[in-house]
Parts: sequence; structure tokens; C-alpha cells
Amino acid sequence: MRRERNPLLTAYAVVVYAFLFAPIVVLILFSFNDSKRNFVWRGFTLKWYPELFANDALLAALGVTLQVAVISVLATTILGTLLGLGLARLRSGAASGVADTLILLPMVTPEVVMGISLLLFFALAFSANGSIWQIAIAHIAFSISYVAIIVRARAVSLDPRMEEAARDLGASPAAAFFHVTLPLIAPAVAAGALIAFALSFDDLIITSFNAGVGSSTLPLYIYSRIRFGVTPEINAISTIIVTATAILILVAMRFNARGSRSASRAAAAPRTSERS
Amino acid sequence: MSDHDRVPVPSGTLARRLAEERLTRRRFLGRLAAVGAGGAMVPLLAACGAGATASPTAAPTATATGTPGPTTSSPSAEPTPAPTPEGELYVYNYADYIGEDAIPSFEKKYGVKVTYDPFDTYETMTAKISGGNSGYDVTFATSVDVPGFLARNLVQPLDLSLIPNRVNLAPEWQDPGYDPGNKSSMPYMWWTTGFAYDTEKIKEELTSWAALWDARWKGKMAMLDDYREAFGAALIRLGYSVNTTSDAELDEALALLQEQKPLLRTYTTDDIGVLSSGDVWLSHAWGSDVYQVVAERPSVKYVIPAEGGIRGSDAMVLLAGAKHPVAANLFINHMLDAQVSAANTNFIGYMGPNAAAREFIDPAILDDPTVNPDKAAIEKLQELLDLGPDLQKYQERWTKLRAGA
Amino acid sequence: MNRDRTRDAVFLLPGLAWLVIFFAVPLAIIFVVSLGSRDQFGGVVLDTLGFQNYLRALEPDFLPTIANSLRYAALTTIFSIAIAYPIAYWISRYGGRRKTLLLILVMLPFWTSWVIRTYAWMTILRDNGVVNGILQGLGITGAPIALLNTDLAVVLGMTYGFLPFAILPLYVSIDRLDPSLVAAARDLYAGGRAAFWHVTLPLTMPGVIAAALLTFIPAIGDFVTPDLLGGAQTITIAKVIQSLFLSSKDWPFGAALGFLLIVTTVVATVGTLRILRREVIG
Repeated sequence: MRRERNPLLTAYAVVVYAFLFAPIVVLILFSFNDSKRNFVWRGFTLKWYPELFANDALLAALGVTLQVAVISVLATTILGTLLGLGLARLRSGAASGVADTLILLPMVTPEVVMGISLLLFFALAFSANGSIWQIAIAHIAFSISYVAIIVRARAVSLDPRMEEAARDLGASPAAAFFHVTLPLIAPAVAAGALIAFALSFDDLIITSFNAGVGSSTLPLYIYSRIRFGVTPEINAISTIIVTATAILILVAMRFNARGSRSASRAAAAPRTSERS
Repeated sequence: MSDHDRVPVPSGTLARRLAEERLTRRRFLGRLAAVGAGGAMVPLLAACGAGATASPTAAPTATATGTPGPTTSSPSAEPTPAPTPEGELYVYNYADYIGEDAIPSFEKKYGVKVTYDPFDTYETMTAKISGGNSGYDVTFATSVDVPGFLARNLVQPLDLSLIPNRVNLAPEWQDPGYDPGNKSSMPYMWWTTGFAYDTEKIKEELTSWAALWDARWKGKMAMLDDYREAFGAALIRLGYSVNTTSDAELDEALALLQEQKPLLRTYTTDDIGVLSSGDVWLSHAWGSDVYQVVAERPSVKYVIPAEGGIRGSDAMVLLAGAKHPVAANLFINHMLDAQVSAANTNFIGYMGPNAAAREFIDPAILDDPTVNPDKAAIEKLQELLDLGPDLQKYQERWTKLRAGA
Repeated sequence: MNRDRTRDAVFLLPGLAWLVIFFAVPLAIIFVVSLGSRDQFGGVVLDTLGFQNYLRALEPDFLPTIANSLRYAALTTIFSIAIAYPIAYWISRYGGRRKTLLLILVMLPFWTSWVIRTYAWMTILRDNGVVNGILQGLGITGAPIALLNTDLAVVLGMTYGFLPFAILPLYVSIDRLDPSLVAAARDLYAGGRAAFWHVTLPLTMPGVIAAALLTFIPAIGDFVTPDLLGGAQTITIAKVIQSLFLSSKDWPFGAALGFLLIVTTVVATVGTLRILRREVIG
């Protein structure tokens, strides 16, 4: 990697990250607030953390949220990526127009409309009144579009000859897809997955209409206390989530770095540059 | 519709009392666990007794309620013959809008596993049960909504033979207008609406609704984001009924509200938040919420205006399609138990309709006019009634008010 | 050619099928509801189906709220993309091995609850909040400035909320830029700025469009941020629809208003996309 530097841009980046994390800093700070409400700083205390672990309802809600998020991210990423790729190949014409519109619709639809429509749909079609699976299905429905749009934006500039070349060389369509196309769009897929996770993890309205007995999610739990007092317990759990994720990422990066270091060592040894 | 957005008050009272007695929450819960559900009332009452003027003389009967099987006389009657409830019960309510021990004591008494799910907003609950089968057994509906739910068959009649504790209800609650004879609902909590202001920022004494139209407090006022409450305030100020269906009167009220809008900082359902944070000096507010604000900002004072205010209540209902009706009825009966009701009140800071419970209620709450106004104040209050199709007259004007420039 | 068509189907069908079954069909149910009317208790009556709700939805009463929604969404989109582009660029060009980490750091704040994030912003913007505290502490202002419950707070909160939705697609697009192209452009145009406008930006246009879509469209539907951070005048059409469904229990009318919003947004967006694609991408 070139040691290029651009101090102005870097300073800008610092400011933007500060902006992104400003509320998080406040949030973390207030997880130590000795007050039932989240407004005024009253003093330092660690009590919310042990209280959080004694709060079964909160932990159960977190569990449901994570389960739904995992299901949703997996399905959304797969379906959305395929859709994005397919759309990229449809250059123009009626089919593309229809597909474009269908993709945009979930994003445009007011959440309350979509939430209630699914409530009615599941009640009428399946006599269902809410469950983890129903929530997951709803999340997938509104997240696919985001992934599809991001993947399409990237796939649109893919050189189709890459895959053709792979197939000419004897690869099966599936192999060509997995070894050529997918790696080329990998960043878009990853970006889509990240967004899908954030969308699912934090969804409130649509989830509220599709949750059932015992399937409350974290946002539902938090919002249900919004007017009675979002106690710092909520801040505490958010702090823990953020910290845990940060640690996971650091660990993953360590592993990745080690892996790529040995891989690049192996790659560098026998061959010289293979830049096209 | 109305009042459903009032904020259930969490352990404000309890926390304060515990702080005073220097009883840590963990020790208290430990005691609860050790002594058992019903008997746990004893340490609570003892703690209250330390600072209270009236000591509950009925304390000895408290120990009896915890034990399963046939009971002593009221305040906690059990249905006979003893019924066999289903194994589970699904309750749908605001988070923490119930005493800490109400459910554990119920579970212990009948061996029923209770799932208590919070709804994010009251309206979500009404939307979900509109389908007819939400999966829940019991929920807490604002009394204004009860006639509508009944008419739409979203709730079913109670089995009164399983609810002998209903004798505990005060006489005025035995036959409410929204549900004669309490055949399909049992009252839970009631509250008042008035306004509150920070006496440190506003040095004069405010007694009239006109204060919320005073341009001196421009940008420092808030109104409740609830169309029946907001129109109620305007209608009361104009001297009309809060249940009027007269277009002329409603137009006058709309004009008044439109005059007010530029003076407001915001419309909110978080009256506790805006008053506690100090951003708003004067706000339309629910009395029991102000009880909470005072813990954060003691200079805030609640007023039921001279022209009058609004009184609201909610009720426990048995949902149509409930899979556990016996357990549900028994649960409702349990909530009408004098001590359980008192514990609920003490925990969430709202007054209940339960006369037999009064002797167990924290005197600080009984003495507090924001939660428990005296008779004179109550006389001035109007109750919101179900208006049926005429409700649209309010909704259209509210949309006009909020959506307009 | 045949193989291509089945291949297309394999790619498109699963996602589209999901959308049809779990989105379009439920939406059709709500469309039927929009043709009905409200009974006296807030239930839906489907006896006389017609477009009366749509006519009502076109009344001028709602124009200010629609204007609010459009205004907030447009400002949010502009600010989000303006802020996101340089940072996406920075991560791509100067991130080096830490690119992925930096990207995930962008998303990290959004794995907390928006309720608390918004509360945190309220704490920061309040009269007794962080910003006012600093301003007064440094002697820049004497009395608190009303930052909360203003348009500024709403746009700030919304831009914040949608920033990652702008950063990620922009990053994806910028990252695949061939650096030699940029270098060549710099040589040709003898200057960074011209090179940017004539080469870099057009090449990353798909990313910009994706970012605009992912920001503008959901922003129109965001009623919570304007509700919590805004004042008495900042109500949006999304909030009107929300309260029609929930407070007023007027599902048919709420649905009609919702559909009008959907249709107008889709038409406007698809139309703009068509034009942009033809002019910019080709």
C-alpha cells in the first residue's frame, strides 16, 4: 500500500467519525448515570450493569432480536444479492421497469402501512398472530431492496467478459459465479449485509405488528418504556453490544491480518506481479 | 384515543421509600423471595409504617393471602369451589405498569405461568387486537375504548363467579357508564389531566387553562400529543363539555388551539421528559406523571385548573379468543385483591378504584393531590366518553391543526 | 441465449417472489382497505368500495406536511451525500489494510437502539445540554439557544441517521475506481478539482444514485426523528399517516394517504432514474 497521505481529508475523516460517535459517547456515559431517567446527570454508578443481567425480560428481548437479525441477514443477503445481480443484467425494457418499481416499493411504503398489511396478511392467510418467524419474514421483505440496490450499483459496472472468460476456460456456471463474480461484488454484498443487520436489529414499527406472545424484540422493549422512563439499563445493554462488537471486530481483524500475511508471503514467493 | 398515552410511573415511589429506609433493592427482593409472595407485604408495610401516620391495622390478614387454597374474609376473597386454571396466561400491557409482585404472587397461588408482554404503544395494541385474535388473554384498555371493543366483539364478558374481589371496588366504580355492572371489564387505575409548571421559572401562581395560551411563555410550553386531551383543554376553557359533538363548539376549540400552536415548543406524549429536562416550563400533563417529574425537578407543581380538568381510567379486559379464560378471570380477580391493588398503586404511583386497598396504600400517595386529588378537585373533572362516529369530528380537526402551517 | 434466460430467472425469481408474496400481496389487502370506510368504532367496513378516501387525501390540508417531509428528506439526502462522499473516498484511498475496520466503525453506532441515540442527541441539543453548556461555558452565549425542537435538530438527526446508508454505497462505488484512471485524469486536467468533476464523479455516479435512493426514500417515511427532535410545526406526512392508523383508527383513509405517497414517490423516483441513467450512465 502506498504511503499516501492527505492531511486535510484525514482531519475531515476524524471530524466525521467524531460526529458519528458523539451520541454514542453520551450514551455510554449515561449508562453510568445515577438516575432513573436519561436526561440529567446525577452522579456516577455502576449499578445498571448488574441490574441489566437480572432483567430477564430485557435479555429475552435481546435474544429474540439477535435470532431475528441472523435469520434476516442470511436470507436478505442471499436473495438481495441474487436480485441485484439479476437486475444489473436487465439493461432496459419493461421487465427492468417493473422490477425497479417492485424494488423501490418497500422502501417507499410507510412502515405503519407495511406493518399492518403484514398483520392482516398473516392473520387472514395463516391465522397467525405473531412470532419470531413472522418478524423475520417481515424484516427480509423490507431489507431485500437495500441489498439489491447496493449490489446492482456495483454489478452494473462489472465486466461480463470476466465470467465468460472463466467459462471459456472450462468452469461451470456455478463455479464461475462463486470464484469470479462473487469476489468481484464482495464489498457490495458485505455492505448490504451490514445494512440489513442494522435495519433488522433496530426495527420497531413493522416488528411491533408482527411480534407475538413471547417474541418481543429489544426495540419493542425499549420503546415500551420510552414514556415511563428509558432507564440507563438500556444504555448499559447498548454499551455492552457496541463494546462486544468492537472487540469481535478487532479479533477478526487480527486473524485476518495473520491469515493474509501468511497468504501474501506464500503468494509473493513463487510469483512476481500478476497485475493486468 | 384518549389517555392511553399517559405514562405508567415506575418505581418512583418505591425507589424513594427504599432510599429513605436505606433498604437496597436486592435486600428487599431477597426478603420477598424468603418470606413468600403474600407475606412479603409485611416488610413493605413495616417499611411504610416507619414514616407513616396511619399504620395499616389489617396487616395480620396479609400473611393469609399468600397461602394457596381457601382464604379468610375480604380483602382477598377466593372463588369457591376452587377452579382449575389453565397452565398459562398471556398478558399484554404497558411495561412496568403493574406492581413488582402482582404476577409472581399470582403464579405462586395458582401455579400458572404468566407471560407479560409490553406493547410499544397503546395504539399498537388496539391495532393488533382489531384482528380478533392477538394471541393474548388479558389486556388493559382505556375505559373510553371499552364500549367500542365490546361492540366489535374484541373482548368477551367476564365470568363474575370467578371475580368475587369485585366487592372491593369503591361504590362509584361498581357500575361505570362505559360498562354497566363491570360485566366485561374491571377498573384498574385512574388519573387526572391538568397542567404543570416549574415554579422556579414561572414565579406567579397559575390556576387557569389560559396560562397555556400566555404569550409570555412562548417557546416554553408543551401540549399533550393527544387529540381528545388537547381538545378537552380547549373545550373546558371555553366552558363546553369535553364530549361535545357540536360543530360550532368544536370549531371554536380548533380556532383556540390554532392560536396556541405558534406559542408551543412541541406536542408531546413525554410530559415527564420535557418537564424534567427543563426545556419546557409549562406543560399540559397527566397528574400521576408529574409525581414522577417532581422526583427529578422538585420545583414543578401540578394544577387542576379552576375551570376543570379531565379524569380518565383504564380497565382490565378479557380478549375474545383468549385461550386461557379461567386463568384470565382469576388474574383479574387477583388484581382486585386489596393488597395487590395497593402494591400496584404504591409501585406505579397511580390511584386505583379499590376502596379496600386504601388502608394498604402508601400514605405519601394518599396525601399527594397530584395522584389523589380531593373531592372538591374531582368534582371539577369531566370524564371522556366514547363518541362513536362523532369522533371523526375531533380527528379531522386535529389533523387540520397539526398538519396546517 | 436460453441458458441466459434461465440464469436470469434463477437470479431474479427468489427475491422477486419473496417481495410478491410477503410485500405485494399484503399491500393489495391494504389497498382494498383503502377503498373501504371506517365504521364508528374504528373497524373497517368494506360494503361500499370506492375512491372517496383518495379524494379526501388530495385536499390541500395536507400540503404543509408533505412539504415538510420533502424538505427534510431532500436536505437530509444532500447533506448525507455531501458528508459521506469525502469520507467514503478517504476510507477507500487511504484506509489501507484497515478499510474493513473503518467501514464497520461507520456502522457500529447503528447497532445501538435509535431510541437511545435520539435521546443522546436530545441530551446534546437541549437547552441544558452539552452544546449549550459548552457555548455558555466558553462565554460565547449568555442564554441557551433553542437547538432542540427546531428544523435544525430534525435535519441534523435525520442526516446522522442516514449517513451510513450513504457512506456504504458510495464506498462500494468509489472503491472500484481504477487509480490509474484518476491519475491519468489528473494529468489531463492539470488539477485535482477538474479531474474530480470530469472523471471521478461521473464514474462513481451509480454509487451516488444508490446513496440518494437509500437516503431520500426512507427519509420521507421517517416520522420519529421529526417527532422527537422537532417542534410543534414540524409534523410530516408520515406522522399523519401513522396517527391516522393508530390514534384515529381510520385505516381506510390512512391507507389511501399512504398509497398516494407511495405512488407519487415511486413515479418521481423512477422517472428521475430513467433520466439520470440516460444522461449520466448511458
